[in-house]
Amino acid sequence: MNTHISRRSFLKSAAATGALVIAVGASPRLLSAAELNSERLPALLWLDKNGNVILGVPVPDMGQGTHTLAAQIIAGEMDIDLSNVRVELMDFVGKTNEKGIAAFGHLHQGAGGSMTAMLQWDPLRQTAAYTRSLLVEAAAKRWNADAGSLSTRDGAVVNPASGTTIGYGDLVKDIGDGAAPAKWEDVPLKPLAANKVVGKDQPNLVAPDIVTGKPIFGIDQEVPGMLNAVIRRCPHVKGDLVRFDASKAEKMPGVRAVIPLPRLPEDKAERRFIAASVAVLADTLWQARKAADALEIEWDGKYGVETDSKLLQEKAISLLDGAEMTETVAQGDVEAALKGAAKTIEATYSYPHWAHACMEPQNCIVDIRPDSAEIWVGNQFMDEAINAVVYACDLKAEAITAHFYRLGTAFGRKAEHDFLREACLLSKQVGKPVKVTWFREDEMEQDYYNPMGAYRLRGGVDGKGRPVAMHMRGTSDARAALYATQEIPFGLIPNYKGEWQQLPSDVSNGAWRGPGSNTRAWVTQAFLNELAHAGGRDPLDFLLDLFSSQSKVEMKNWPNLTLGLSRYVTALKTVEKASGYRTPLPRGRGRGVAIFTTHHSLCAHVVEVEMKGETDFRVIKVTSAIDCGLAVNPLGVRAQVESGIVDGLCAAKYGNMVFERGVPVTNNFDTYRKLRMDEAPLEIDVHILDFGDTSPRGTGETSLPPFIPALTNAIFAASGKRIRKLPIMEAL
Amino acid sequence: MTRVSLTINGKPHQFDGDGEMPLLWHLREDAGLKGTKFGCGIGACGACTVHIDGAAVRSCSVSMNTLEGADIVTIEGLADGARLHAVQEAWIAEDVAQCGYCQAGQIMAAAAFLKDYPDPTDEDIAENITNLCRCGTYVRIRKAIKRAAQSLQTA
Ligand code: FES
Ligand code: FES
Repeated sequence: MNTHISRRSFLKSAAATGALVIAVGASPRLLSAAELNSERLPALLWLDKNGNVILGVPVPDMGQGTHTLAAQIIAGEMDIDLSNVRVELMDFVGKTNEKGIAAFGHLHQGAGGSMTAMLQWDPLRQTAAYTRSLLVEAAAKRWNADAGSLSTRDGAVVNPASGTTIGYGDLVKDIGDGAAPAKWEDVPLKPLAANKVVGKDQPNLVAPDIVTGKPIFGIDQEVPGMLNAVIRRCPHVKGDLVRFDASKAEKMPGVRAVIPLPRLPEDKAERRFIAASVAVLADTLWQARKAADALEIEWDGKYGVETDSKLLQEKAISLLDGAEMTETVAQGDVEAALKGAAKTIEATYSYPHWAHACMEPQNCIVDIRPDSAEIWVGNQFMDEAINAVVYACDLKAEAITAHFYRLGTAFGRKAEHDFLREACLLSKQVGKPVKVTWFREDEMEQDYYNPMGAYRLRGGVDGKGRPVAMHMRGTSDARAALYATQEIPFGLIPNYKGEWQQLPSDVSNGAWRGPGSNTRAWVTQAFLNELAHAGGRDPLDFLLDLFSSQSKVEMKNWPNLTLGLSRYVTALKTVEKASGYRTPLPRGRGRGVAIFTTHHSLCAHVVEVEMKGETDFRVIKVTSAIDCGLAVNPLGVRAQVESGIVDGLCAAKYGNMVFERGVPVTNNFDTYRKLRMDEAPLEIDVHILDFGDTSPRGTGETSLPPFIPALTNAIFAASGKRIRKLPIMEAL
Repeated sequence: MTRVSLTINGKPHQFDGDGEMPLLWHLREDAGLKGTKFGCGIGACGACTVHIDGAAVRSCSVSMNTLEGADIVTIEGLADGARLHAVQEAWIAEDVAQCGYCQAGQIMAAAAFLKDYPDPTDEDIAENITNLCRCGTYVRIRKAIKRAAQSLQTA
């Protein structure tokens, strides 16, 4: 169960048996035996005498396929078979800064922003290339040949002149401590055309463990002597604990302690970080659960009663109706252009909060000792997980040993500190390791939600159906609306104005797959569809014209790229053709199109829906084109596109986190509905665009945002009903 | 204290404890079988699906005191020794798993389903496979179930 120790002892034996060990990074180097025996090891790749590679992967895998991708990069660059590469999640190899806080070192060790492939590509490739160069050098010495004349193939160095080969494993013992290897800077990377693994479909390497139920997730871990905590948390977003009676609970079998925890921050004017709560600590999880249910607790619910979904929605609309807003972007003269337009339209869009609903609820084990701590956790960011303990216990990062595990989805939620903070506070009090396991109700009630928002849009088209003006006012209980009002088509429509104002709310918000993009793609791309119809244009033609009207556009939002628009045209034409966009559909069916750039990548969809009566629909087919740079693993890219589509369909159709008088009331899968097999698209056809890019970009968060407008545009085409309010099931 | 004698993954097994404890917790916390997952605790997600006397059941919603004599198979016991079950093989071949958290439940549900529907249509799958997957792997699950059905029929 404790992979850390087994890995370390394996390493020791690797050191003893003379395996080749390389420090992973953009500037890789050979490690000496002395370093291998040191306490704090850098990130490693090691090659044993049988020619097998074991690689420590820097970034946790939460379903985005990090581990498989890392193995591909190594195998492809080293010229070895993938079956000879084993990957495991590496330890945190960052540093402790002068404030005692954990910070990334030479490797990025967080999964977020769809940056994993981008940030792993160079260091892993460089490490593999360097390792390969050491092997080639060793072979050259043996053969007394010029290293430049040798090549590599199938885990061996080849001498083309003599036709002889030496397996990598055989060469390991030649590369000793005293060797003076080439500088990594001088090592050339393999041209992509010669790479036999990168760019090829590779199934998830962890699949054999997954399908046999191996204990690979954080929630599967246990440590000797630990207590299980079940925590009853205050459901009111702003509430507090008045009193509790633990007399029954304390007498129940296995119960070791009942501990109240304060709301943080204490100042109720600030949004909740952790809820006021009462924790029961018992030998087993079930004992803790039963005893926690037997607690009698009185919560103070008088605060924050205006945190109410209906009320928030009304406030948002009245802000749009009246308030002075702050200008975000402006170009041309919107009012004059609207006056001169052949046709103008106005529409109001809104969407509610969404919960993450991570399949594996938050959990962790924390052991706080007097001068040190140890944690076992699935967390998106290794530095953040360690810092949660730094802040909770006033320890320096270097005093904390952290073990990381696979995550059963995360979507942005598991980059937060809150669940670790609870475990820290409890472990400190009882002086034992404590495992905190959240239940589904906790996961939904104590979420950092995707913000809600509302928008008023006005737009006009000229006599040829071209957009001449657009005015977008937005409000949300996070900065999402600010970003929305400066999103493309700003920069493409000659007269444009964006304005926003923050909606006051006590709801804690956080990152949710495609933060901000997940909803602003809908508002902007759905309104463009309305403009197309207003001008009597086919929506796809309208988009083709819009993105052909100039050669590039600046993104005002992160990552602030200059976008070449010819790629938009290629993407649109790809989905047009592949979806059979121009072929007529029977009554009750319709197609919708949308295109959007986010997280460094571009994605277009054509969605085909069929109405089921007046108030329901099914997605028959989704045709997608994605430009995510080099697709290291096309099969994995397609998986991510599919995943974003299904997640987007689920959120748009049903996603609705409801608060009533300060209390979240949708708190499990019976009340917070999620999509299942019967409503999943029948077919998803993904086209990966190849523009000859030589490095990968974001994938995991790119397909969801444009899916939602493509869907509502399709529903309009199929039914004539314009969806301007999410969730769809309440608007149809 | 309730005593229950049952079989788990082919081995006789004795439970002495709180009869109200759901099977899921016994498997995960007492028996050390971590493959069966917690997702909702109310029978709504299927992450905890196991076989009881051959039928797919959501183990979070079955108390230990109802299991006298029951024959339980979990994901750890689905393969025949080193030989994977056709459903497990199909899951690998279709590259279904993303995070993988829901997949033990999905596989157990599919394996039981295929006994009743050896040659399933899309509609059969839509009606009967109701487990949640937050990674949205449904399209590949559908393909994997059909692939497993084929290989079970030709076996
Ligand atoms: S945990 Fe049993 S159905 Fe969800
Ligand atoms: S594979 Fe992640 S929840 Fe299903």
